[in-house]
This record gives sequence, structure tokens and C-alpha cells, in this order.
Amino acid sequence: MATKKVKIYTTDYCVYCRAAKDFFVKNKIPFEEINVGEDEEALNEMVTISGQMGVPVIVIDNEVIIGFNEPKIRKLLGLK
Amino acid sequence: MEQIYDLVIVGAGPAGLTAALYAGRKGLKSLILSVDLGGQIAKSPTIENFPGFEEISGVELIEKILAQAKKYGAELAFEEVNSISKQNKLFAIKTNKAKYFSKAVILAFGKTPRTLDAKGEKEFLGKGVSYCATCDMPLFKNKIVAVVGGGNSALEAALYGASIAKKVYLIHRRAEFRADSTTVQKAKSTKNIELVLNSIVKEIKGDRFVKSILVEDVNTKKLTELAVDGVFVEIGFDTKTDFLKDLVKLDESGQIIIDNSCATSCEGIFAAGDVTNTPFKQAVVAAGEGCKAALSAYNWLKGIKGVAAEWGKPS
Repeated sequence: MATKKVKIYTTDYCVYCRAAKDFFVKNKIPFEEINVGEDEEALNEMVTISGQMGVPVIVIDNEVIIGFNEPKIRKLLGLK
Repeated sequence: MEQIYDLVIVGAGPAGLTAALYAGRKGLKSLILSVDLGGQIAKSPTIENFPGFEEISGVELIEKILAQAKKYGAELAFEEVNSISKQNKLFAIKTNKAKYFSKAVILAFGKTPRTLDAKGEKEFLGKGVSYCATCDMPLFKNKIVAVVGGGNSALEAALYGASIAKKVYLIHRRAEFRADSTTVQKAKSTKNIELVLNSIVKEIKGDRFVKSILVEDVNTKKLTELAVDGVFVEIGFDTKTDFLKDLVKLDESGQIIIDNSCATSCEGIFAAGDVTNTPFKQAVVAAGEGCKAALSAYNWLKGIKGVAAEWGKPS
């Protein structure tokens, strides 16, 4: 399986951001984290691609997922 | 045939997760059903009164309890419970996704943030409207936000907002705040917090995102439009137990009435934490009650008598 590019937009005290990151670590999926509380440009980018302001937003290749939608993430990553 | 659980726990805050931990250690096959993880406590940036932790964030505390509960086999599914009914000797629990059967149930789903019931509030949820200042305030750097409410959580949200946003309107329907006086003083002396008292939010307006709010003066009924990018609602919590009113006894504010072993008026159903009529809505109390509810459920499942007080009789 080719490695998919995983990106997650987060803030510090967001429970589902942490749950999602834990999920990636447990499943040995490398990911890039962008803290939108610290990076305004990234925040604008997240709002543009997701059309909303809630975190986390997870991008797997070109698919945008709003929230920690585990079934959808598993499907996109080909995890059981 | 569907799998039958020994115990279904509704809610994944300190009460529900502690119940799962104890149930797991007693060997009960348990499933936690919850709309979210942590509930109210997940929104707290620092907790300084949970024994054993001098200082911990709500999220970290919840993660620790969840990991501990999972170690003993607890399953967790993010589903919303819509109804619970008795079918023969089992409870049927219907969610927005599936139907489960369980021999016993623990209700530990806490309280739900109260909404403004303003026009546009639902439409702009996640598009400027938020019920969690600690989660979402960082998204409003150099922007203008409104915080609605008059209690400690509202004032703390306003102060947190003032450290991030350009300007904070603190909107409260009365002339005086309920929050602690030191917090009120701090808010009053913060330059970029503007108080909007005796006022309620009538409407939230915008296009793709929030652009402004319409605020009504409760005395003069005069409407004012304020340009804001975000609206943080901090007006307290409701107990959403309507769907259970034919199953368990509730008090006048909708809280589930429990006895000192966490049994409800319905045999086989137990309850714990903020959703119950137990005084002091604290994480450590909720965790303690979750433990009691799980042990009571275990005893009841095993037919061990003498723990639960009988309902209707003074104990």
C-alpha cells in the first residue's frame, strides 16, 4: 500500500484532535500536525478547505474530513 | 442475533468511564455509548482539584481514565442514545446508528450546554458559533468575538478571549454578574472587554460565517447590531432526560433521582454523575458515583441483595 499523506489541523485543548493523533500513532500512520491557534495562515487554509471553523480537520491525500470521523479515516487509510 | 451486553453505560465523562473501569475489573461485558468524549470536563483547560493530580487538563484526565477503562475491556462507540425500553428481561437501547441489548444500564451522560435559541444559532454552529471557548477561541486571533453569559465560565471565556481576540463583547441579560467578584473585577478592568449588560442576543447573522449579532436591550427593547466574527455561548447547562421520563423518576429540574447506591427507580438501571440529583457537580464526585453505580449494577446482576435500598421505603 502506498503511503497516504495525512495532515491534521488542531488547537491545544481539543479533545478530538488528541484522540485522532492517538489513533494515528497507534496505527503507525505518519502525520503532519498544524496548530491553527499558532499559525493564522494555516487557519485560513483550514477554513477555506473545510468551509467551517471546527477542529480537527483531517486531510488524507485530497480528502477533507471534518472531525475525528474514525470509520471514514479507517476506510481512506485501508485499516480494518 | 445481536450481542447481549452485561452493561451499557451511557456517557463518557468521569462518571461513565469510571463505571466502565470498575465494571471491566468485575468481568462485566460493557459498552459505553456517548455523543462525545469527556463531556463538560474536556472543555476545562486546567483542573486543580482532582486528587492525585496537582494540575491536569480535562482532556488529559479523561484520556487517562479512558485508557484505564479500555485496559479492562471497555468498548466505546460514539452514538447518541434515543430511547431505552424494557423488553422481557433485557433493556433495548436504540441509538442513532444501532440497537443494543443489555442486562443492566448506567446513565452517566451529564449535562448539555444550554443554547441561546437565537435565530441563526444552529445555522452558524462551527461557523462562528461555539459552545467551547477553550477549544475554539484560538481560532479568533485578532478578531472580534462575543461571549454570552454571566457566570464564571462566561467571564473566564471572556478573559481568555481578551488574550487572543482583538475585542470581546461580554453580553449578559442582567445588570450584575453571577461570577466570583475577583473574576468580575478582572474582566471589568480588561481594556479590550466591552460589557453589554441587560441585553440578549436575538439573531446571529452572516454569509458563510458569522458577521454580526443583533442584541436587544431587555428594558428598552432597542436593537443594536454588533459586528463580530465569533459567538461563544456560556449560559449554563441543561439536563436532557426527557426521553427517560417514563422509565426512571426525575426531579423537578429533570435530574435522575438515585438512592445512596446509585440505583434509580427502575430496577436494573443505575445512574451517576451530573445527570443525577447528587449534590456537588464535581469530577471527583462523578467518578466516585460511577464506581458505586458499577458495583451496584454488578451486585444486582449477580443477585446480591442488601446493597440497594428499596424504593418507596425510607432507608
